[in-house]
Amino acid sequence: MTYIATFYSHFGAMKFKKKCDKCGWPATLMPVPRTLSSSCGTCVRYEGDTFCPTEEMPDEAEQIVRVLDDGYEVCWMAEDS
Amino acid sequence: MKKSTKLGIIIAGLIIGVIASVLVLFGNPTNMGFCIACFVRDTTGALKLHGAAPVQYIRPEIIGIVLGSLIMAVGSKEFKARGGSSPLTRFVLGFFVMVGCLMFLGCPFRMIIRLAGGDFNAILGLVGFVLGVLVGVFFLKKGFSLKRSYKQSVFEGAAMPVIQVVLLILLVAAPAVLMFSEEGPGSKHAAVAISLVAGLIVGALAQKTRLCMAGGFRDVVLFKDARLISGFIAIFVGCLASNLILNAVTENTFFKTGFAEQAIAHTDGLWNLLGMLLVGFACILLGGCPLRQLVLTGEGNSDSALTVIGLVAGAAFCHNFGLASSAEGPTANGKIAVIIGIIVVAIIASCNTFNKKNA
Repeated sequence: MTYIATFYSHFGAMKFKKKCDKCGWPATLMPVPRTLSSSCGTCVRYEGDTFCPTEEMPDEAEQIVRVLDDGYEVCWMAEDS
Repeated sequence: MKKSTKLGIIIAGLIIGVIASVLVLFGNPTNMGFCIACFVRDTTGALKLHGAAPVQYIRPEIIGIVLGSLIMAVGSKEFKARGGSSPLTRFVLGFFVMVGCLMFLGCPFRMIIRLAGGDFNAILGLVGFVLGVLVGVFFLKKGFSLKRSYKQSVFEGAAMPVIQVVLLILLVAAPAVLMFSEEGPGSKHAAVAISLVAGLIVGALAQKTRLCMAGGFRDVVLFKDARLISGFIAIFVGCLASNLILNAVTENTFFKTGFAEQAIAHTDGLWNLLGMLLVGFACILLGGCPLRQLVLTGEGNSDSALTVIGLVAGAAFCHNFGLASSAEGPTANGKIAVIIGIIVVAIIASCNTFNKKNA
């Protein structure tokens, strides 16, 4: 399945991509798609069996969504975001 | 990247470029159909926060951008009151963005408009801006973060848009309490309704497309993604085409190439470059240029609202203490302030990049 994780900082996205790389999950850094958010930060688009490659949620993550044919499904969202 | 998204931002950029040119026809200063820094500075002067008589007028374009973004964000259910991401640091960064802008005499938006008017001094500004973006991107890659923002009350997110409405009411209903320039750039302006509508359109389009000069260069460097930058190239093309047409069919000058005798500009290349280097660097740390800060304010982002207040404070300081440049060139105080600004922004960048233990 394809997921997109958005972050509060570019560095948070970079660290998450490295985690995906370690797990062998194909991952790409990219600007947040406009269809997903009006914010213009960095996100990671990746393929995986679950929405997070580690037990703990990634640092500075804002939300994780599953990419559907017709939009997105929210899998996780940071508290108070 | 979806082609429709890229086409949308190009069309938006072309429209904004034409609006920027036509506003001059309706009365705005030459090569200043839009300038976020200059217009915030003029508004600051109208509120008597600085005493520079030639640059005092509540610019409806600023009000329009915030409210246009607000209307678009509410309509698309994207209005979210949030803040708390290092607000005072953002205030300081906003302050120094204004110091850099008033050294160059324009924000990144006006830099493009000046280029489209044939002002070659803006080329030096563009070089400085790109260098500043590259320095900022270096810190982003090394771990720079102003920490996360949090959900806030609707009142917090709506405060700055409400202030814009109050400013509009003051402008229309009680102009006697404000200061208005009788000569100089502040005295040149389109009619209130025209400026307001122009601002509303630009604000709505910029919210929909996330137009951002700093973000445009950042995305090219980080992801080789040209979507955002294509919007600003489109602004240049739209403004240039409109300027050339207006130059041919009217008696006024809308396009004149060269360095000397350009409208509201000076020819000191080094300080044009350094001023915009400061702007580019600080804007990357802030996550957006002054236009983007206004748009985010309309979306309910109180951190961006505080950045805008930083711009206001910077404008007041620049004109009260002789930091702002003029057509004669930069001032000694302004040069010192830009150097201090680059140092302060570098310290902010370093402390929020390499000092993670205190995070």
